[in-house]
Amino acid sequence: MWIGTLILVYHNHFRHCHSQNPEMAPPVKVMLAIETRDLSKSFGSTRVLQGISLTVNAGEFFGLFGPNGAGKTTLLRILTGQIEPDTGTVVTASVPNTDPIRLKHRVGIVPEAETPPTFLTAQETLELTCRIRGLDEIQGRIEKWIRFFDLEDKKDILCRDLSKGERQKVMLAAAFIHEPELLLLDEPFINLDPIYQRRVREYLQGVASEGCTVFMCTHILEIAGRLCDTIAVIHEGRIVEQGRLEEISRGGDLEEVFLRAVEGVAVA
Amino acid sequence: MWQSLSVRIFKAMMKEEWRLHQSLVGPLGSGFFPAMIFVFTTFLAVAAPLLLSQMPTATILLMLHAASVAYGLFVGNFGSIGEHVMTRRLGQVSMIMQMPQTYPVSFRRMMAVFYAKDAVFYLLYSYIPLTLGITVAAPMAGASLTGVVMLGLTTFLAFMVGMGLSFTLSAVFVRSRLAGLALYVVLAGIIAMIYPLELVGPECLMPSLGYWASREPYGIGVSVAASFILASIGVALMKEKYEAKQSRYGDSLLEVDRLLGFMGKLSPIVAKEWIEVRRSGALGPVVFSFSGHLLAIYLMSWVFERGVGVDLGFNVVFYSGFVGFMGVMTYSFITNLEHNEYLNVQPVSVDQVVKGKLAVYFALTAGVTALYVVGLGVMKHQMGMVPLGLLLAAATSVYVVGVTSYLTGLWTNTMFFDARIILRFCAAVVPPMIVAEIAALLMPIRPAATYAVVAVSMLLLLVSLPILRGLERKWAGTTFSFVNTGQ
Repeated sequence: MWIGTLILVYHNHFRHCHSQNPEMAPPVKVMLAIETRDLSKSFGSTRVLQGISLTVNAGEFFGLFGPNGAGKTTLLRILTGQIEPDTGTVVTASVPNTDPIRLKHRVGIVPEAETPPTFLTAQETLELTCRIRGLDEIQGRIEKWIRFFDLEDKKDILCRDLSKGERQKVMLAAAFIHEPELLLLDEPFINLDPIYQRRVREYLQGVASEGCTVFMCTHILEIAGRLCDTIAVIHEGRIVEQGRLEEISRGGDLEEVFLRAVEGVAVA
Repeated sequence: MWQSLSVRIFKAMMKEEWRLHQSLVGPLGSGFFPAMIFVFTTFLAVAAPLLLSQMPTATILLMLHAASVAYGLFVGNFGSIGEHVMTRRLGQVSMIMQMPQTYPVSFRRMMAVFYAKDAVFYLLYSYIPLTLGITVAAPMAGASLTGVVMLGLTTFLAFMVGMGLSFTLSAVFVRSRLAGLALYVVLAGIIAMIYPLELVGPECLMPSLGYWASREPYGIGVSVAASFILASIGVALMKEKYEAKQSRYGDSLLEVDRLLGFMGKLSPIVAKEWIEVRRSGALGPVVFSFSGHLLAIYLMSWVFERGVGVDLGFNVVFYSGFVGFMGVMTYSFITNLEHNEYLNVQPVSVDQVVKGKLAVYFALTAGVTALYVVGLGVMKHQMGMVPLGLLLAAATSVYVVGVTSYLTGLWTNTMFFDARIILRFCAAVVPPMIVAEIAALLMPIRPAATYAVVAVSMLLLLVSLPILRGLERKWAGTTFSFVNTGQ
């Protein structure tokens, strides 16, 4: 049976030697962090996205809002190379959606639901992330994020035995640990208590001010209103509002923009 | 009220099961599976008088019922399902089974309905097509319609006893590992009393088989009662609450990763897979079931030889050829341990995790396979055949499990319900296996057959290389949520 293992090892080395390691690729100056053209996606007979064209500039803090089932998560999954659109093109962090591994090397992703590995501890989950991403100074990076989320006394517990909030912290740490140039976050504040919501918010503001692009979907409009430079509102699979927050809010708050875009309601 | 709620949950679970199958393998693939069983059984029933003219009916019945018990044992391992649900090892899949978390319905009731649903599902999906297949061929096979219906009933009851046994054993095991092990020893004792001690008849484990000896409904009644009692014990042993425990472990990942450094980029993935097997408690069951299946082949052939009264001349090389087939179940078991959805956001592709699981599979089965082949060599006084047996065992294991991983990826258990995949698997695996096994049988009378075994083994190993390379092309574009969304 070791013959099988040897074949696997040989094949793995073969791939390793003949493909470019994305970590070794020279850094590319990203001007547009995300660019989509005419994206459409259907699941069976249900059209989830229709003609989505979006641009997010490098260094922008971008918020995507929409009612439940509007297509936010599907769009995020397309942007991160998890699924392919039926039509249209996507380039995220200078990488087309058709090369998801290279794309995921460049970005940090927080998915909709927190599902860290069942049988690894919090510490091991971050170690696995570092090893998969080929990072150096693993222990230093992990210690930093364990401290950031106050997980010192939880780091040896299996992820399945952590609370929802603790799992979310592990997922956030795994997305931030390689200091990516672009963060794609789906409800990053969910399950976090106000202390950590604030801590994560401040971290995101900090990295955005240093040039990191943040693309965030959230229903917590109060936080989003304080963070986002640019927003888009998606409704029934179409972008119904897009632009700089201060321009489209017309002096109102984000909730007004949202309701006006989705329901056509003018809030007094 | 109680009854009507259970009936409603039952109907909802049946719909859920059907839709889950459709989302995974499509409506065509889902409906094709029972159709395939029907056609296959019809063909076998027509050919049975020709193929088995020398075998007593009692032996055929014994083999059919034993296979049904084994099938039930394989599918009835529901004891840990509560923990799976509560610890979200089903990933993001939300199932009706999870209702007790938020609704005023007990987990035991949910489990009872789930068990009934699975029994009906296997009846519709396997045993009714099987019975219909034999019914169509009954006039040609010289069997009466009543006999065919009774055969369908008694084999299904044997399946239910196996499923009940497996459910009870797994439920006890979750409550107390010691008590679980004690029960396994008792079961092994009963099997030993049937063979080799021959102190009791096989009806002791398969009461419905007794119907064919006496033609009295006694055995059928006992089977129904045993199935019901075993299922009830299993349900009663299910916990209503799964208290939040906090299992702590020392840091192992980097250590295992370092040891596997020779595997290059694959090493962290293999380390993760290895730790999952260890911590999920699957290590023992994986090795035990693989060994058990290999021994079962030997026992089945013994039953055959005993029934016919003729030495079939199955040698060490012949038995070695079955290692690959048995490995399919072990690989399937390994793929069921974890949902892997976490990896959707990491720069890892499905094919890399498939390779990680293959590496763990080879590591877990290599020693057992070697022991099995050498053990048979000692028992059958055929030590000279052991090197060739080891070569064929390695080749079939790499090839058959390689084909399985290529066709089913990380979702073997469910993808094999797609008849199109089963057919492709059979087309790829059965012809070379038949050649290898016939050559193995011919070795004592035709020395050239030895070269044929070597040639087939080398060919299987060579063909395995492009198959394993093909994993990347086949699975790299798939998400780890494939099983949830069908995408």
